Formats: sequence, structure tokens, C-alpha cells
Amino acid sequence: MVGLLLAGTPALPLDEAGKYVAGAYVVFLVLIVVYVAIMAAKLGRMEKELRELAGFAEQRRAEGGAEHEKVSAR
Amino acid sequence: MYGKGLKPLSIATVVAILAAFSLVFFYAPLDADQGFIQKIFYLHVPLAITALVGFVVGGVFAVAHLRSGNRKWDAYSYVSIHMSVIFGVAVLVTGSIWAKASWGHWWVWEEPTLVSFLIVFLMYATYYPFRYAIEDPERQARYSSVFAIMAGAFVPLNFMAVRMAQSLVHPRVFATANGGLPGSMMFTFLVCLAAVALLWVTLVKLELTAKSASGQLKRLRRALDAPAPGGGGSRIAPEVG
Repeated sequence: MVGLLLAGTPALPLDEAGKYVAGAYVVFLVLIVVYVAIMAAKLGRMEKELRELAGFAEQRRAEGGAEHEKVSAR
Repeated sequence: MYGKGLKPLSIATVVAILAAFSLVFFYAPLDADQGFIQKIFYLHVPLAITALVGFVVGGVFAVAHLRSGNRKWDAYSYVSIHMSVIFGVAVLVTGSIWAKASWGHWWVWEEPTLVSFLIVFLMYATYYPFRYAIEDPERQARYSSVFAIMAGAFVPLNFMAVRMAQSLVHPRVFATANGGLPGSMMFTFLVCLAAVALLWVTLVKLELTAKSASGQLKRLRRALDAPAPGGGGSRIAPEVG
């Protein structure tokens, strides 16, 4: 399929003009990739914070449960 | 809330960009005047149009914020402008590459189209220090909205002024009296414009989703910081470095 597509298209000139065109499209793709990488890093930080907060909430609940048991025992 | 529909939108964007680039390289004919270099047009012009429209959209959201007082619209305005600034960087870089290839110079100061876009870009680059110099969130949102409206109104005015100015070397593809682009080139261009606009929408949605999640995390941290019912004093949730 790809072979047929390539066979049916004119050869891409990779001379001086080709370098500039490739440069422009690569810049665009690099910008998008950098942006997505920054967003992924941000998401990773949020996930870590969420894990810590979930752990903290569980710890608080466990402490609350222990205190409640103490009060009931008295 | 904002993340709803993000996955299909992302898939549609990837498909649209792949289709657009395939059309650029395998369908659109070579330009008789510029040859292969003209392929940059299909990336550079849609990026420029999307960035400029994005700035205006940011102004429209700012109007909605000032009218309703709802901070949601301020977030929409901020993210629209932020994404358009990123697209603006791509416009300047791809434009410089095209200028070097076509005219032999990375930048031509005598060309009003280039300089006017740079002015718009630099104006929006001041949006960040302006916004974050204000600490009070209410005032920050209000003043930023005023900035977004004023700057958003400047964008079409600037565009019209450049159109009316006598062009030196920058081509006016859509203004030629006898035709402009041939059908296959126009079709490719429109697909590219749709793909780049879709990318802008997807990235705006992604940024809004991240902002919303971050805000909810802050609320959760505040809730956990509150004193436990039945005494015990304030519990400070751990800070994430």
C-alpha cells in the first residue's frame, strides 16, 4: 500500500529546498513533542501528589479509627 | 470535566495531521514559481491563521469573563492565548526558514507582514509577566481579561492595516484577482488549516484538563489541611517538591 503510494508520487527533492522544507516541518513536530513532554511531566507530578494525598488521607482515617476505638474502650 | 472527549479528539487530530501532510507531499502539485519550497506554505499559513484567530478567541472568552464574572472564562482566555503564543513561535520559525529559502534572508525588516506578526507576538509575550505580576486572583483575572480584549481587538486591526499597506515581497495568495490557488492546492491548504485548527483545539482542551486537575488537587490538599473534626488541630498535608 505504502509502496504503491510512494510509486505514484513524484520524487521528493532532497536538495537545498528539501532541507529547508524538512527543517520547517521538523521544527513544528519538535515543538509539539516538547509541549506534550512538558504536559506529560506535569501529569506525572500531579499523579505523584495525588498518591501522596491519598496516602495521607488513608493515614488520617486510620488514626481517626484508632482514636474512636480508644474512646469506645473507655 | 474538561477531559471528556479528549481521547477521540486526539485521535482525530493525529489522523487529520497525517492526512494533511500526506496531501502536502503526495497530492499537491509543485508550485510553478517557488517549487518544492512552497510546501512550507501549507504549514506556515495555517499556523499563522490559527494563532491569530486564537488570540481573538482569547479576547472573546475574556469578554465572557468580564460579563459573567465566571473564572472559567478567564481560564479559557488564558489557555487560548497561551496556545496561540506557542503557535506563534512555530509561525516565526517556519516563516524565517521559508524567508531564508525564498529570499535569502532569515528576516526582512521592510516587510510589513513579518514585522506586524512579530509585534502581535511580542505584545502577547508581555501577557505572562503582566498577568503574574498581580497576586490577587480576582484582580489578576480581571486585568488579564482587559488586556486580552484590547490585544484581541488589535489583531484584526493590525491585519487590515498590513493588507492595506503596500506589500514589498511577501506574497498575497488569497488576494489575487485572477484565481489565486488552483483547486488541488486550495483543497490541501484547507485540510491543513482544519488539521492545525483541530490541533489547537485539542491542545487547549489538554491544557484546560491539566489546569482543572491541578485545581482539584489544590482543593483536596486544602481539605486535608483543615482541622480534623473532633479536635486535633490543623494537619498539614505533605508538600510535593
